[in-house]
Amino acid sequence: MKRWNSVAVVVALMMVIAACGGETGSETTTTTGDTVGTEAPTTTSGDTAEEPSGDRTQIRWFVGIGAGGQPEQAEAQNAVVEEFNASQDEIELVIEIVDNDVAYETLATQIASNNPPDIIGPVGRDGSNAFSGLYLDLEPLVESTGFDTSIWPEETIENFREPDGTLPGLPFASFPSFIFFNKALFDEAGLPYPPQEYGPDGISVYGEGTEYEGTWDFNKVAEIGAILAVDANGNDATSPDFNGNNTTQWGFVWQWTDRLFQQGSFWGAGYPMADDGTADVPQTWEDEWKWYHDAVWGTGFAPGQEELDALGGNAFQSGAVAMAGTHLWYTCCVRDDANNIPGDFFDLAVMPSNNGVVTTNMHADTFRILASTKHPDEAFAVLSYLLTDAALPLLTAYGAAPADSTLTEDFFASLDERYPQGVNWQVALDSAAYADVPSHEQFLPGWEQYKEAMDTLQSGLLTDPGLDLDAAIPELEANLTAIFEENAE
Amino acid sequence: MAVPAITGKGAAKHPAAPFLPAKKTLAQRRGRAGLWFVMPWIVGFLLWYAIPMMASLWFSFTDFNLVSNEPTEFIGLDNWAKLFSDPEVRASVLVTARFGVIALPVAVLFPMGLAYLLVKKNLKGRETFRALFFMPSIIPFVAAVLIFGGVMNSQIGWVNKILELVGIDGPRWFLDKTYVYPALVFIGLWGVGNAMIIFIASMNSVPSTLYDAAKIDGASEWQSFRHVTLPLISPIIFYNLVIALIGLFNYFVVPFVLYNGSGDPGGATNFYALYFFRVGFQFFNMGYAATLAWALFVAAIAITGLLFWSAKYWVHYEYGRS
Repeated sequence: MKRWNSVAVVVALMMVIAACGGETGSETTTTTGDTVGTEAPTTTSGDTAEEPSGDRTQIRWFVGIGAGGQPEQAEAQNAVVEEFNASQDEIELVIEIVDNDVAYETLATQIASNNPPDIIGPVGRDGSNAFSGLYLDLEPLVESTGFDTSIWPEETIENFREPDGTLPGLPFASFPSFIFFNKALFDEAGLPYPPQEYGPDGISVYGEGTEYEGTWDFNKVAEIGAILAVDANGNDATSPDFNGNNTTQWGFVWQWTDRLFQQGSFWGAGYPMADDGTADVPQTWEDEWKWYHDAVWGTGFAPGQEELDALGGNAFQSGAVAMAGTHLWYTCCVRDDANNIPGDFFDLAVMPSNNGVVTTNMHADTFRILASTKHPDEAFAVLSYLLTDAALPLLTAYGAAPADSTLTEDFFASLDERYPQGVNWQVALDSAAYADVPSHEQFLPGWEQYKEAMDTLQSGLLTDPGLDLDAAIPELEANLTAIFEENAE
Repeated sequence: MAVPAITGKGAAKHPAAPFLPAKKTLAQRRGRAGLWFVMPWIVGFLLWYAIPMMASLWFSFTDFNLVSNEPTEFIGLDNWAKLFSDPEVRASVLVTARFGVIALPVAVLFPMGLAYLLVKKNLKGRETFRALFFMPSIIPFVAAVLIFGGVMNSQIGWVNKILELVGIDGPRWFLDKTYVYPALVFIGLWGVGNAMIIFIASMNSVPSTLYDAAKIDGASEWQSFRHVTLPLISPIIFYNLVIALIGLFNYFVVPFVLYNGSGDPGGATNFYALYFFRVGFQFFNMGYAATLAWALFVAAIAITGLLFWSAKYWVHYEYGRS
């Protein structure tokens, strides 16, 4: 019996030790330069992560709350890590790639358990806002190391400056927004293509010299969108016989940019908080929400939620939508890698204006150092490497336009290889001049709650034909005011 | 007679020495060995249930936030006060209750009805039907929910296509407040196989002599069911009701998969468990999330306790309660 007791104790202890062992999440791939690829990952435990490996200082790079989770991106990132580790013998860079679905929770848990990484990214404003206040101010390190920031325009750098004067980010990637359009659907409808050049003050003309000639604004989008929307019987949305419950082709969609603060901002940049801390939704946003609700449920030229679900979520790629307002990052997904869904059907057009103003939402991704890092100098050395030497391979993998203009040509050449039909990438470059200021992702107190409140109304917009926005918007503002007050510092 | 004291070397060798500890009985020795065998479970229970539960109780009195750079502070009953004034809590409790009014009876009656049909001796292919009705419950529920999302999509789903064939304009099942609860309950029927099997087992255990006696007394089929079957399977009804009730409190997977937790349509699927998830894992407000979790736990205990109390009035234990 004693022997059995001993066996039971040993088994119990082994189970406890195994269970309490290093954090080995199935979603996390941790790789050093010596072991590249997901086939042979080296997983570091929380306890050892901060320990130097040999004489080197270990710097942890957390990827997942923005781009970087796709296999081809992981490959590029692992190669960068390998090259960095081979290039010097002071720092060991360790990358942790976490699935985006669990990245926020994973990072939050690491921070709360006092086991944070040193660097996170690439991450946009939205992702950064979730961890607002936890980033290291880079300005002292820029000054002490003499890091050359002249590779970026001054205003691009200032775009990262916080209201308190700190500079927690430096430019890396930018994703301007514009219109993707389906050439075949325009040809089929006998409509001229949307304009590809911004006119004076950004205002362009559509269909010059044709019966459709007019200012390229959102009224024009609605007009030609209705012609491009077709039901199962072949009636377009201008016909009295058009059946909006059985639409097979649509004129326009906000492609993955339909969060209310995103789509609203395309009609004019604004900040939904007044000086006194209460919510105040910009009028241009309200106008746009009503316009899009009518596009879905009135005219019927934009798909509602169930139709988006039926299209598999990627509406424009399905070939059933003529125009999509979205960002440069959408080049990720206009075709699949096996070319089963070829991406040769589209080209780019400039963003329409609203009341004489063009606004193109801008997404800017970068890497950030957490203020909790024990090795700020080494972390900044890694950050510098990622922003300069490693920028091009990373930007190409992320499908992001370089903030460093010297890299632009190479970047678009790589996109031409992917989309050889001759896409007019100049549209993307020109659109950057009309970026939204303030950003639609400008930080607000209780950012995640703010997004959730906005999303609730957005889901009504896409699912409820009878939604009374005049009543819903004051309700939203009351909710937002409560959120701002609750989270005010 | 007094037992002489044994001292010196002999003491250790003398098994019957009265001043030595009494030797453990066989049952005690086996009990101790058993304790070692269940030790992994006990350790696991302490590490992953008991201690985290106590920790979460403590969190509910703090402003613990995963991404805050401020130190966590004790805030007394603030979270609990907020719980009672939070309109989202009120709304999500109402949503859960409204759904429960439809879902709970169906969760018990549907498998019971199926089981009643499938124990009929004159049903041809009875075993095949049992297997067919049980098989869906072994398919991962998330996959089933995704499939139903397509099947009942008003644009492309075949449910509406079939309705269209007979001239009915099918509703927007998941996006219309009128139809969303029936649609969710319909999805729930996918997993009734387990409850059905338990009902079949309990119905088969009803002595046939009771049915024979009822038949001799002139009881109809309905009367036999009402006065013989129903009382004797009432403990199983009770069991399935408790399980369904706990499932209702934790109702999360279907609305989360179908609507990505958005609460569509118009907040109609903003269930309590979803709200708890959002507070904890989207807003990272662990202090308040812990409060929500504990409130759910207390409510579940209270209502389950109420059910147990009511059992003495309607649950029939043939051989008394064990």
